[in-house]
Amino acid sequence: MAKFVTIGERIHCISPVIRKAMEERDPAPILKRAKEQLDAGATYLDVNIGPAENDGEELMKWAVQLLQSEFDNVPLALDTANKKAIEAGISVYNRSKGKPIVNSADAGGRIENIDLAAANDAIVIALCSAEGIAADNDERMMHCQNMLERGLEHGMEAEDLWFDPLFLVVKGMQDKQMEVLEAIKMFSDMGLNSTGGLSNNSNGMPKHIRPIMDSALVAMAMMQGLTSAIVNPCDLRLMETIKSCDVFKNNTLYADSYLEI
Amino acid sequence: MPFNAKSGKFSASINTVEIGCGDKKITIGGENVLPFYTFDAPVENAPKVGVEITDFGLENEPECIKKYYEGCETVVDMAKKAASFEGVDFLSFRMEGGDPNGANKSTDELIAMLKEIAAAVDIPLVVCGCKHVEKDAELLAKAAEAVEGKNAVILAAREENYKNVGAAAGLAYKQLVGAESSVDINLAKQLNVLLTQLGVDGKSILMNVGSASAGYGFEYVVSTMDRVKAAALSQGDTTLQMPIITPVASETWGVKEAVASEADMPEWGNQEERGIDMEVETAAAVLAAGSNAVILKHPESIKTISKMIKELM
Repeated sequence: MAKFVTIGERIHCISPVIRKAMEERDPAPILKRAKEQLDAGATYLDVNIGPAENDGEELMKWAVQLLQSEFDNVPLALDTANKKAIEAGISVYNRSKGKPIVNSADAGGRIENIDLAAANDAIVIALCSAEGIAADNDERMMHCQNMLERGLEHGMEAEDLWFDPLFLVVKGMQDKQMEVLEAIKMFSDMGLNSTGGLSNNSNGMPKHIRPIMDSALVAMAMMQGLTSAIVNPCDLRLMETIKSCDVFKNNTLYADSYLEI
Repeated sequence: MPFNAKSGKFSASINTVEIGCGDKKITIGGENVLPFYTFDAPVENAPKVGVEITDFGLENEPECIKKYYEGCETVVDMAKKAASFEGVDFLSFRMEGGDPNGANKSTDELIAMLKEIAAAVDIPLVVCGCKHVEKDAELLAKAAEAVEGKNAVILAAREENYKNVGAAAGLAYKQLVGAESSVDINLAKQLNVLLTQLGVDGKSILMNVGSASAGYGFEYVVSTMDRVKAAALSQGDTTLQMPIITPVASETWGVKEAVASEADMPEWGNQEERGIDMEVETAAAVLAAGSNAVILKHPESIKTISKMIKELM
């Protein structure tokens, strides 16, 4: 089995520093966050430019070229509701270190992002929801099937659709947590790749609790077969847990220094 | 439905490493397939075969080896002769006499001999220590200095002395660092990590992951090599993509099947043939398990293995 893929989530326009840097095309804050995440062990970096309705295409191109030229063609997840911006980003993307990820499609209004990924030989994160969170796993798996078929019809390899069960917040949806984990197992049993915004589970919890909850959940999810997650790689406890789980799963060979590599 | 053969090549590959310099330099590694799986993808660099001599010259060698070195007065003469044997790609000089529990020759004496050898032969050099970790820390550090510019393999840095050997061979004198672990996959990986953390370029490391004579716990050697290659190729583990070099002669020429005389063991038959057989069988097996280079002793073994490699490529 391949190593767990971590997608670093910290280049996000919701952060005031990053938003300002994107608006002003100021490389420094973006490169700083990228470096922190890569040093901490991220494989992919997510680049969230928000809706970017006005200058999305130009902004995404700028961000892709900036990051890839500085960090040896680091593979990226292009994260925006603006489809043209994703396409523009892919047009300048160097895939020597991995295909671009389209973040994201769903089974509802954003299903066309699967077509976009297919047309551009990209990976797509496929959210198993349509209009709102799936009520149960029957619905989740129906969305999964629909999106899988759509991808295959458009010529994608199944391995390039990374299914997202949609991680739910514990505070308020505690009773749904096992269902999400069961959905991951179903993806895994079908031989499918999976990912998701794992830290959603700990939203609203005290800062010192979040790494603990995220680490516990990632271990349980990896046991179920989760192959990737969108995470904060600067969360040391989480990254240590992922590396340890990769050892238990025989995804990587153990060495005493395994946490340092 | 027609059968469509699927290539078993990997997206990762073993590091390509050049040993030696000038016209006679050799290149090992680079493959992205399992050993000799040339039907999956071309293997550019064939495994290489080295010949081993030691600072004891002919003193401890079996009669069947001595005859090939007829007329050699010194170790340097032997080195020149060895370099001319059919199928030899590189020379391995083992400074066995340095062992404090054995002859305990001084570092200066051994280094002087090494320098003469390095000056006398133009094929790539592998310099081996005496297997005593403290002595090797000093001896191999000096050896790295003595053969500066030769792009030699210094065999080996071990867990106990990797800082000295790694710093001298890999950093100060830009030789190739052999990283030795004994049939322990986790340590094989760890040692590479430690050496790279020390600043040694991963692309100038070769691994000796351990060896044994066929029949002497050999299945552990094979499973170690299998696991290392699996991690390197299928898991893309960059800390294990170093080519493997395996000393074979020093293992096989010590076991009873190779050394017991025909007088003692008449039912086993001719001693020389047995010795060659043990060496050839072991070498063939470690090559099939993923070694990129083997170190042998008997000229017949060298010729045979070299021919085997050519025919499998």
